[in-house]
Amino acid sequence: MYRYDQFDEQLVRERAAQFRGQVERRLSGELKEDHFKPLRLQNGVYLQLHAYMLRVAIPYGQLSSRKMRQLAMIADTYDKGYGHFTTRQNIQYNWVALKNIPDVLDKLADVEMHAIQTSGNCIRNTTSDHLAGANADELEDPRPWCEIIRQWSTIHPEFAFLPRKFKIAVTAAAPDRAAIKVHDIGLLMKPNANGEVGFEVFVGGGLGRTPHVGVSVRDWVSKGELLSYLEAIMRVYNRFGRRDNKFKARIKILVNETGPEEFTRLVEEEFAAQGPKEKVVLPDEEVARIMAYFAPPEFEDLPEVSQAFEREKARNEGFARWARINLRAHRTPGYASVHISLKPQGVAPGDATGEQMRVMADLAEQYGMDDVRVAHEQDIVLPHVKMDDLPAVYAKLVEHRLATANAGLITDLIACPGLDYCNLANARSISVANDIQAEFADADFEEEIGKLHVNISGCINACGHHHVGHIGVLGVDKKGEEFYQITLGGRADEKAAIGDIAGPGLRHEEVRPAFRRVIDKYLEVRNGKSETFIEVLERLGQEPFKEALYASA
Amino acid sequence: MSSARPKLKPDTPKAVTAWNTQTGRTVYLTSERRWSEDVLDAAVLTAPQDEEELAFAKGDEQTVTDPYFMQVKAEGGVDGRETLRETIRAQGPTNHPMFGKQAGSP
Repeated sequence: MYRYDQFDEQLVRERAAQFRGQVERRLSGELKEDHFKPLRLQNGVYLQLHAYMLRVAIPYGQLSSRKMRQLAMIADTYDKGYGHFTTRQNIQYNWVALKNIPDVLDKLADVEMHAIQTSGNCIRNTTSDHLAGANADELEDPRPWCEIIRQWSTIHPEFAFLPRKFKIAVTAAAPDRAAIKVHDIGLLMKPNANGEVGFEVFVGGGLGRTPHVGVSVRDWVSKGELLSYLEAIMRVYNRFGRRDNKFKARIKILVNETGPEEFTRLVEEEFAAQGPKEKVVLPDEEVARIMAYFAPPEFEDLPEVSQAFEREKARNEGFARWARINLRAHRTPGYASVHISLKPQGVAPGDATGEQMRVMADLAEQYGMDDVRVAHEQDIVLPHVKMDDLPAVYAKLVEHRLATANAGLITDLIACPGLDYCNLANARSISVANDIQAEFADADFEEEIGKLHVNISGCINACGHHHVGHIGVLGVDKKGEEFYQITLGGRADEKAAIGDIAGPGLRHEEVRPAFRRVIDKYLEVRNGKSETFIEVLERLGQEPFKEALYASA
Repeated sequence: MSSARPKLKPDTPKAVTAWNTQTGRTVYLTSERRWSEDVLDAAVLTAPQDEEELAFAKGDEQTVTDPYFMQVKAEGGVDGRETLRETIRAQGPTNHPMFGKQAGSP
């Protein structure tokens, strides 16, 4: 894991001290809210329905046990004993008092964390594959490049006041677990014709009120030229992106209105025009320094089959189910990646208590090579666990309600905080999520349904990524009543697609039975258990599911 | 202002609400021009004095942030098309009954 150098340390400490002064001036009345708001947003502080909300950056979703424990301490000391993991691999605290936030930032700095650029019109936290460095299907570890982008984009003066917020994701695996095509810039690590690994560059993806799948503007750019190419894109965006209309200011609108070919031409022109002094040249020794932090841990030479694991599977049905559903293959024999679901019945998706955070930190330290990841699906992953240790890990997870066996299934849904917390929301998300979870609470039935992504947003800003759920749910307000628009056929993977609106919105209480009818239809028409929901939808089209959705609504 | 709310008609009963700047808790302007955390303490306003009360709230920026009009019943209490949102603000999140004013805590 990357460790701060003296510059990182100084920057984060100085920023925390600076914000302490700004908060003091706000509380004394010296600063008015109009002046303070942009300052607090640059430090991840929002004002929500009940309190201030602090969003803390978790670069590319990676934590150590020490950092996780500090997040738990902050939840217990400054919030209400829990935190909310987000679709950008960050964590949010929903109840912090403004007067306490400077202290929280100091506590974060103690463990090399911060809240810088978690809001505002700047380059946000760079996200990545939560299985980076662990999965056999990746070309190489994308995290060093996320870190390089983090360092380049942090307080970059040219990109501190963009037309709108800007999100970058990087993956190095063909199965896209980082949703790169729905980011402002998505980077896919791949080899060129000579076998040299570089990046394919996708631009203009995004959700919100005008969803778009990103388009490939460069089939391949070398590692050495990556930052220069990113700067070329950012400069075209900074120059031509609209600032007159907030709703048309994202780069996806620029790409769409300019046309992908013309946009690409502008970027290539800017890239070609960069003089030697403008090029961001990455010194080899600096790249090597950063790479060294991501060197693979020392894995033991273990047999493919763990007897302890097999014995527990044969003995414990709950463990066997959890192992089938929540484990992911590791590149090293005798190891697995553990998917810890934060979606038990009746809990807000992505919420974890301080105690649960400490348990996960302990497990990472004892069994997981001190590595914890936040998945954009709002779950936690221990990427490197010995198969021999899985029974002990599972037992501890069960004790703390962290062993729900639903990773990738219908109740492992993504949901934003919605109207229960968010100042922008039009409708509740969490209650809809809990209704759907209750409908599919039978674990056998859920496993029978198989892989299915449900994404729920409480407003068109789409923090719950509803557009790219296999089934998406968007909360809208109709004359004071909550309605829910259903989309079908979205996906966030390498075949990224925006779901189509199925029809009129449903009332809150209609969503749960409508979901049941859609799932019953899927089970009726699929060609065997191996044909997933999204595959059936793509084979048959929306009509059978639309009919089911509105059958008795 | 982070909270652009629907415009209310002049004769609609309304109250001034905001957030406590220090804590972020929801507050309501009383008839004595004090800030209460209980929505039932809010002064029910009708034209023409209502704009004056909002102007007072906006001038009290050190104490509160982002004041705006919310619709209330003539006898007090949340009302109108934003009833759900304002009820949640006044009481707490529906998914977390142990938090917020509904739990007897801020």
